[in-house]
Amino acid sequence: MKKNNGKLYTIVTLIVLAILVYYAEKNLDAYNLRILNLGAIYVTLGVSLNLIFGFTGQFSLGHAGFMAIGAYVTTLLVLPPWYKEMIFIIEPLIWPFTIMHTPFIIALILSGIFAAIAALLIGLPVLRLKGDYLGIATLGFAEIIRIIANNIPQITNGALGIKGIPEFTNLWWTVGAAVITIYIIKGLINSSYGRALMAIRENEIAAEVIGVNLTYHKVMSFVISAFFAGVAGGLFACLLTTIDPKAFMFIMTFNILIVVVLGGIGSITGTVIAAFLFNISLEYLRPIEAGFNIGPIVIPAIPGLRMVTFATLLLIVILYKQNGLMGGVEFSWNGVSRFFQRIFSNKESSEGGAK
Amino acid sequence: MELLNVDNITMQFGGLTAVSNFKLKIVPGELIGLIGPNGAGKTTVFNIITGIYTPTTNKIFFQDQDITGIKPDKIAKLGIARTFQNIRLLDNLSVMDNVMIGFHLHLKSNLASAIFGLPGYVREEESIYHKSIELLEKVDLDEFKNEKAGSLPYGQQRKLEIVRALATGPKLLLLDEPAAGMNPQETKELMNFIQKIQEDFNLTILLIEHDMKVVMGICKRILVLDYGVTIAEGNPFEIQNNPEVIKAYLGVDVKNYA
Amino acid sequence: MSLNLFLQNLANGLSLGSLYALIAIGYTMVYGILRLINFAHGEIFMLAPYFLFYGLLIFHLPWWASFIIAIILTAVTGMMSERIAYRPLRNAPRISALISAIGVSYFLQNLAIVIFSGIPKSFFRPKFFKNIYQFGNVRLQSTLFASVVVSAVFISALLYIVYRTKTGLAMRSISTDIETSRLMAVNVDKTISVTFAIGSALAAVGGILWGLRFPQLFPLMGMMPGLKAFIAAVVGGVGSIPGAMLGGLILGMSEILFVAFLPALSGYRDAFIFFILIFILLFKPDGLLGKNVQEKV
Repeated sequence: MKKNNGKLYTIVTLIVLAILVYYAEKNLDAYNLRILNLGAIYVTLGVSLNLIFGFTGQFSLGHAGFMAIGAYVTTLLVLPPWYKEMIFIIEPLIWPFTIMHTPFIIALILSGIFAAIAALLIGLPVLRLKGDYLGIATLGFAEIIRIIANNIPQITNGALGIKGIPEFTNLWWTVGAAVITIYIIKGLINSSYGRALMAIRENEIAAEVIGVNLTYHKVMSFVISAFFAGVAGGLFACLLTTIDPKAFMFIMTFNILIVVVLGGIGSITGTVIAAFLFNISLEYLRPIEAGFNIGPIVIPAIPGLRMVTFATLLLIVILYKQNGLMGGVEFSWNGVSRFFQRIFSNKESSEGGAK
Repeated sequence: MELLNVDNITMQFGGLTAVSNFKLKIVPGELIGLIGPNGAGKTTVFNIITGIYTPTTNKIFFQDQDITGIKPDKIAKLGIARTFQNIRLLDNLSVMDNVMIGFHLHLKSNLASAIFGLPGYVREEESIYHKSIELLEKVDLDEFKNEKAGSLPYGQQRKLEIVRALATGPKLLLLDEPAAGMNPQETKELMNFIQKIQEDFNLTILLIEHDMKVVMGICKRILVLDYGVTIAEGNPFEIQNNPEVIKAYLGVDVKNYA
Repeated sequence: MSLNLFLQNLANGLSLGSLYALIAIGYTMVYGILRLINFAHGEIFMLAPYFLFYGLLIFHLPWWASFIIAIILTAVTGMMSERIAYRPLRNAPRISALISAIGVSYFLQNLAIVIFSGIPKSFFRPKFFKNIYQFGNVRLQSTLFASVVVSAVFISALLYIVYRTKTGLAMRSISTDIETSRLMAVNVDKTISVTFAIGSALAAVGGILWGLRFPQLFPLMGMMPGLKAFIAAVVGGVGSIPGAMLGGLILGMSEILFVAFLPALSGYRDAFIFFILIFILLFKPDGLLGKNVQEKV
């Protein structure tokens, strides 16, 4: 059956991916590696947001909050005790954080778990809200988390943030996390539970009457989504090596939302592409700020020009591709072979959709 | 054994009484019609039975179990299914998905085995797949199984909604105006279809309809609602000749449909 | 807390609340018509004091002239953003319009950085705003009065327009049902433009009054006040103008009184605002003055 071929192609792709990661880690410079790492982290963030928003239809704007939880958990677990004693200068770090010290993988998993617990507590009351109300409520919770982080220097070092986090994150970790996230979320979406989530998105009342327990499924989706956001937060901390509450303002959530919408809601493929496009274009627009010439006109170095250009590009894209870059189409090996068949033969394909 | 006992319920929304003192007892195997002018409270009765609303007073029993106030998903698990007046399909999902979702409530595999594709789950999924195809074949919709549900013509959407309800494995099926918008030929097919599925799936059916051909043709017992009050109950002949019913709903010019 | 101090805080809260109300009205009007959370509204708010600043400093215009020009320029910016970034997306999925709003927000913020530079500027406070009035033991800056009085004047003008003119009728009609309004020969495009113009103008007034009260201008100054004003609109009931006013006043009072009564927790004052929001959403989801529109099953 075609399904077995699909599994084979996937395994081959993963091997190729591993080789590419190996090559990149060995040969690319730190600057380019950082862009790729950020891209991969945004894949994890985008795919997890797509789960709760694109597939379950719940407009959640709380992602930055779960990232923040993950970032701080990983940071506190990964820094050696003597270092923590040194840098907490506003107020000394409280026990038991002073003695905790775990390997990176454990820290990441715990980051996800703590974010998931927060999602459970937040989701139970809040997920009964609909549409924009849910959005603003989750945004409120994310901001509350950030404000708390700003105000508990005995755990987070407050507004000063934490510097000198070991740079454990590399392409193996970020791409690995992205692959695992995609594997799990795709597995969920393609199962009966995934159908239940999409039923909730399409028509909540119908879903309930068909026997879908709304609370269970919404909360489950929210919690899984938050888990991966927490893991991404941990990876983020050990990539940038410094974190502070300001990094997790709602702008972070907006950026992830942009990636999800531009990639196409409900399209994991689109999210992957958009995540990398987003980060690559942000980086490659940097030269604009350094000043350049257009023919005889000299444009001096102006800070902020990069983001103005980025915002303009964003507006152009959303105005012309209103359904996102991929338009909701999903990747599949069958789809790829059909695509090539259409190009190389002149027959018209009568099958619709890619599934 | 009573299948359903709606025990003298009243439904109030603020100051408005939508349904008052509604009584209905159904035994297994019946095909019952619920008719009345628009706004009479028929769909409200459906919403109450399926748990979308909780009656303001008194209770409902299904198979001798008190289901008053139980949420719709649990009621579906107990064995009551319904279709909607305005068709509530999952428009952007495929026809196949719309049917397969009907089997979700009886899924035994847990979340983890579904995500990781463990053998127990894979077996269940295949069984769901085949049962869904069978259901679609019964209504000649299997060739459209990969089309988006929202792209089907109206009549087929109605059939799909009924099939989705059947997938949940109900004992009691509530159909809300299934013949709405159908031409005479389609209506005749629908009547045969309803009687056929009642037999094939061992169903008890409660039907809301405005098309009197359907109601008088297949229902053995009919209730008439007007302004939330039951004004008559009986077999088709009794109902057609009931002066109250004629005045409120049927009109003087009605022919014998039986 | 002494009575005087309490009154002082109350006055402060009223003044801050009237500013939030001015901004919140713009959010609620746009949401009522387009079901769009105009994330760029906070940036509109931010531009007005900058326009005023440059009018005074660069063009040496008298205060009243700069004031009027700043409001007009801001209203025009608001109308242009609707024309360019929102109108083409009227029939697109709502999330696309939201992304567009985020895009406009990023654009205006960074345009401000490019043109005005990110270094904070000191807002000029004209002489008559430097007075301090004394009532018994309560000392109130004249900016406090200015906020309340000016807000009241402009909001009254708004209410007159909305409830007593044909344009206002058109606005109310569109917020109920756009398609039917079109069938009734309402010029939907023009009315929406007017809505944006009015909402932006009010935000402009709010921005200038804000600049008088907190005389430091910086390009990101619209972010938090914008978010809080939107929360005020939700608390009061999105789509309801009286709701936005009520929400603004409640939030302004709550913020000041929270810090007044719990000074040790003053770092949490924004969190308190979010708590109020979540509390209201859970118990009165359509806001205090909102209409409860239930889905028909």
